[in-house]
Amino acid sequence: MSTNIDHIKEEHHQPSGIMRWITTTNHKDIGSLYLWFSLLMFFIGGFMALIIRAELFQPGLQFVVPGFFNQMTTMHALIMIFGALMPAFVGLANWQLPMMIGAPDMALPRLNNWSFWILPFAFTMLISTLFFESGGPAAGWTLYPPLSLQGGNSMPFVIFSLHLLGASSILGAINVIATILNMRAPGMTLMKMPIFVWTWLITAFLLIAAMPVLAGAITMLLTDRFYGTSFFTAAGGGDPVLFQHIFWFFGHPEVYILILPAFGIVSTIIPAFSRKKLFGYDSMVYATASIALLSFIVWAHHMFTVGMPLAGEIFFMFTTMLIAVPTGVKVFNWIATMWRGSMTFETPMLFSLAFIVLFTIGGFSGLMLAITPADFQYHDTYFVVAHFHYVLVPGAIFAVIAAVYYWLPKWTGKMYNETLGKIHFWMTTIFVNITFFPMHFVGLAGMPRRIPDYAVQFTDFNMIASVGAFGFGLSQLLFVYILFLTLKQPVTAADKSWEGAEGLEWTLPSPAPYHSFDKPPKID
Amino acid sequence: MSGIKSTITKLSLVVVAMYAFSYALVPIYDTFCEITGLNGKTNDVAYTDNDINKEDRFVKVKFISNVANSAPLYFEPSVTEMTVQVGKPYNTHYVMKNNSSRQLHTTASPSVTPGKYAEYFKKIECFCFNQQTINSGEVKDLGVQFIVDNDLPDNIGDIVLSYTMFDITNNISESNKL
Repeated sequence: MSTNIDHIKEEHHQPSGIMRWITTTNHKDIGSLYLWFSLLMFFIGGFMALIIRAELFQPGLQFVVPGFFNQMTTMHALIMIFGALMPAFVGLANWQLPMMIGAPDMALPRLNNWSFWILPFAFTMLISTLFFESGGPAAGWTLYPPLSLQGGNSMPFVIFSLHLLGASSILGAINVIATILNMRAPGMTLMKMPIFVWTWLITAFLLIAAMPVLAGAITMLLTDRFYGTSFFTAAGGGDPVLFQHIFWFFGHPEVYILILPAFGIVSTIIPAFSRKKLFGYDSMVYATASIALLSFIVWAHHMFTVGMPLAGEIFFMFTTMLIAVPTGVKVFNWIATMWRGSMTFETPMLFSLAFIVLFTIGGFSGLMLAITPADFQYHDTYFVVAHFHYVLVPGAIFAVIAAVYYWLPKWTGKMYNETLGKIHFWMTTIFVNITFFPMHFVGLAGMPRRIPDYAVQFTDFNMIASVGAFGFGLSQLLFVYILFLTLKQPVTAADKSWEGAEGLEWTLPSPAPYHSFDKPPKID
Repeated sequence: MSGIKSTITKLSLVVVAMYAFSYALVPIYDTFCEITGLNGKTNDVAYTDNDINKEDRFVKVKFISNVANSAPLYFEPSVTEMTVQVGKPYNTHYVMKNNSSRQLHTTASPSVTPGKYAEYFKKIECFCFNQQTINSGEVKDLGVQFIVDNDLPDNIGDIVLSYTMFDITNNISESNKL
């Protein structure tokens, strides 16, 4: 590989101040916008989670009324999924994909600008519903009818903002695919692409196939409520269970949209700090693709208890359990990559290692939930809450944090404080387990999810979980402090910030120049 | 650049196709449920085949009722249980009373449990085939004529027929306005 940056262009003809960010078409600017936006949403959604945990600290009603509690669970989920995680991954894609494949920018820079700037409007609209007289959406993020059809005036606003978010994701996905398929440096064949690029390519295809189905489902809700159709209203011959089928046909691929880029990040960081090549690159690619394909035929495992026939329950049970095979391949490959590597444990590596262990715990509880007869006990209990928080918090969010620590020196040219990073890691990891591990126990003991009050025997574990949640929230303030400290430093980071780091982005100077590869690099 | 354009065109087509597919799922789901009898979907047009078989097989049919969204209606079966011979038509009725002070339009949605055997429960005549108009304070008898099919598997002892009554007055007045 050769470096080819003899002419770092100075900033040219750019509007300054706020207009720079509003009109920018630069992939790095847009990546930063996505990441900052995601951080803001992470704190808003986290604040809502703390309201939930404060209320659940004790049985009985202390702080909020049940209606508002339901709005908090609904909004927490919508904001964390669509506001924190998805934009974080799109932000990372924006920053990294062009640099990783040796392209000057994304394929569709103006579209890129637009798909970001849709988000603030969509979320303003979504969050504004909380100030309505009838309150925000309270039927859960899954918007199941008939309950969601009976809600207050927030419903059309929520649906329109989801449409906007869907449009933004689809545009972003089209951009990612167009970039990866058409703008790779000469010589970079598909099977030579960095694994993060592969996982994002597959994620983008999932987005394109799944998001329009969500758009369809919520449009049907909207016409049922306002235009007299009866897709889901039983009075007109509709069927509420139909919504669950359509929703989860989107919803399950969505789950993998939230985790596949995380797999890509971990598969990038583990080899870097083990100073070995990724073990089983080809099998990683095939495993990712098979997870994506399987995600379209397992949707009804979210609805084992709606009254499906035995054949359906068995089909969805076995296809779901099948997903454990490619996922197992991935976990095996990560461990095999570390085997006899000369490992060091900097903050990104620590988060990636915790990802492997804790995500696997979440995967195992997922397998338990996949077993139909057992699911009848677990369904809609805190066990489910424990499961998906294990795969999303120490899973997806840990991967995002690891990625930020890993690429921060490349983005800013500045190295974060390693000691503080490690403190952040240990606090986060300890508190995340204090928060979510007890939820397994209360769930198995029968505590239902989405309730503001509970039976007294669940008190102890709920208190522990609430303490953990506040600790976790405070630890993330440390993260912001670390970012702030890093940005205040002078530029000192080396071009190749990590000894074992591989990839085209490390051939660029740190901080990465505004325009990366004007001339495509050569790939051996 | 032409490569990028063709990628975008193809991907946009996929997006449109998947949106259409979400709507296609509605009839697919309906057909699937009808063929398999899932969700306790029964026939919603009258059954006309009247081939009475003289087999001595009896099943218990239980009747239950629900009123959706606490509409101001009294709605109960006149008898809650009948022992019927398979292959023979039977009559029963539900009683509905309008407890509100205005005229209401209603419609009922039927369901048979166990859903798997819904296909063997045939309705020859049913108030659920039509909508009802009921005046304030009026009491109505709503008739059902049904037949349990000869082919009912032997392991079935009880069948439950349930109706949920919906007040659709507002929907109707809205569609009249349009």
